[in-house]
Amino acid sequence: MSAQIVVQPTGESAIRVVGSSGDREADWRVVHRIARAMTVPGIAGVHTAIPTYEAVLIEIDPERTTLAAVAAIAQAIAHEIDPDEPLLAEPREFVVPVLYGGQFGPDLTDVAATTGLSEEAVIAAHLAPTYVIRCLGAPGGSPMLDGPELPVTVPRLRSPRTHVPQGAVSLAGRQATITPTAAPGGWSLIGRTPLTVLDLDDESLVPYRPGDVLRFERIDEEQFSQLEGLRLAPLGAER
Amino acid sequence: MSAELRVSTPGRAAVTDLGRHRGPGVGLPVNGALDQYSARAANILVGNDESAALIEALAFDIAFVPTADILIAVTGADMVLTVDGAERPMWEPVPVAAGQLVALSDMVGGMRTYVAVHGSFDVPTLLDSCAPDPAVGFGTLFEADAAIALRQSTAAPVNPYFGLSLFNLGVDRPYLGDTAFIDVTDGPDIDEFAQTADVLFDAPYAVSTRSNQVGLRLTGTLPRRESTHEMISRGVPVGAVEVPPGDELLVLHRGRGVTAGYPVLAVVTSTSLDTLGQARPETAVTFRRVSLEQAARDARVWRERLDALRDRVATVFACLGVEAAAPASSGAGS
Repeated sequence: MSAQIVVQPTGESAIRVVGSSGDREADWRVVHRIARAMTVPGIAGVHTAIPTYEAVLIEIDPERTTLAAVAAIAQAIAHEIDPDEPLLAEPREFVVPVLYGGQFGPDLTDVAATTGLSEEAVIAAHLAPTYVIRCLGAPGGSPMLDGPELPVTVPRLRSPRTHVPQGAVSLAGRQATITPTAAPGGWSLIGRTPLTVLDLDDESLVPYRPGDVLRFERIDEEQFSQLEGLRLAPLGAER
Repeated sequence: MSAELRVSTPGRAAVTDLGRHRGPGVGLPVNGALDQYSARAANILVGNDESAALIEALAFDIAFVPTADILIAVTGADMVLTVDGAERPMWEPVPVAAGQLVALSDMVGGMRTYVAVHGSFDVPTLLDSCAPDPAVGFGTLFEADAAIALRQSTAAPVNPYFGLSLFNLGVDRPYLGDTAFIDVTDGPDIDEFAQTADVLFDAPYAVSTRSNQVGLRLTGTLPRRESTHEMISRGVPVGAVEVPPGDELLVLHRGRGVTAGYPVLAVVTSTSLDTLGQARPETAVTFRRVSLEQAARDARVWRERLDALRDRVATVFACLGVEAAAPASSGAGS
């Protein structure tokens, strides 16, 4: 027990903590556990933590604490962490209905061409996994997902869109996500969910957190209009 | 009737504060005042908490009329402040009577002007901050004929000697010139740039017109990333200096997306971020490398100036009988 980390100063108001075991899964669990320990319920002088894949950026108020003090706390937390313990004892499961292709997934054709698959095969690959939510990204808490398995990686758009609508379901590299709020974006849009993901009246803004799992479910246009505007919620919860 | 500010000329202004510090943990940028020193000073000058909501006006003229007597202070970029046509000083508390027109015009240096009102504003918050977040469509923006509620309708004393400056508080003002020195500390990924990292310090860069609260784009000779391995997305700090594809250097500011897949070459110090928050397009920016210790010392100097200013303001207000502003309410939601 005890996690291996490296602490790097990142300006006068932040440190970056990197998991250094070399095991990506273990490092991911460790940095997210450190983020949680730093922010729930909170440590004096720590504004927030941004955990991603194998690193967490911890932002501090240098008027209330020091980089050295927070680095020491991170080391102390890491010392207590069992890297093999699951991130969440009981991950919640989310099912995201998606209308694929057409005007809702204008890049599906290009993704199929790039990967040498049929559009149906791209959709099947996207539907296949149960994804682990790795971290929350910009804009507005997008769930960052590994996958799906495709023969080649999907490049970012040469010219990013200035407007990607909320609910867009997209791919880039070897990652997938949903866009909770309209924003510019350079990922390939393959579909859209009718559900509302972002809730500004909720403290956590989005219903999922890293370590929860998510899968996609194919719907048609009629189901899309029936579900439009309902909130994304974990299985077993009220919408 | 509750007290409010009625917007006559909206310009490009919004109600903001020092930022949404819990936002980055859930994917929202911190946002908030780009020149934190000027914002803090404005609030101090009217006896508010430094983190109280205040107006940030970008470049363009604005005007408003309060429905109650108020005490305001204007800081940041140089503008002409008038109250019912009479010119009044920036960087001082200025009394305004109900119904008078407060106008800010002709910005000549800098990019962002701050207007604090004694007692602050009653505006919606998200995660304890009123700072606008354009990405999620949140914020209280100046719009034509909008009314922005004030938290305190109790009158600040209106100086009966209009035209006279009642206060001489000796505030240190930020630098607003067309050349700027920007201090940076080494970034965690500086090794990715090998010897080209020092190119950053060789010659000035020019601020591009494509700069905004998300980040400043700078043209000049670029450091070059020497390693080629795939960079995984990580949390990036405000102030991160990155070299994305293309021919511009990117310096992230308070509206930045919280994660990015580019190596962080350097990080701009907090005091220099304020300078960048006031940098106009075409400003010549010269980067200087400083140690973390130096950056912390510089931040402390500005902190001591603000603390001393607060003490002087408290003395003056006590003499004049200005009542303390009620503490800011906390808690998220609107």
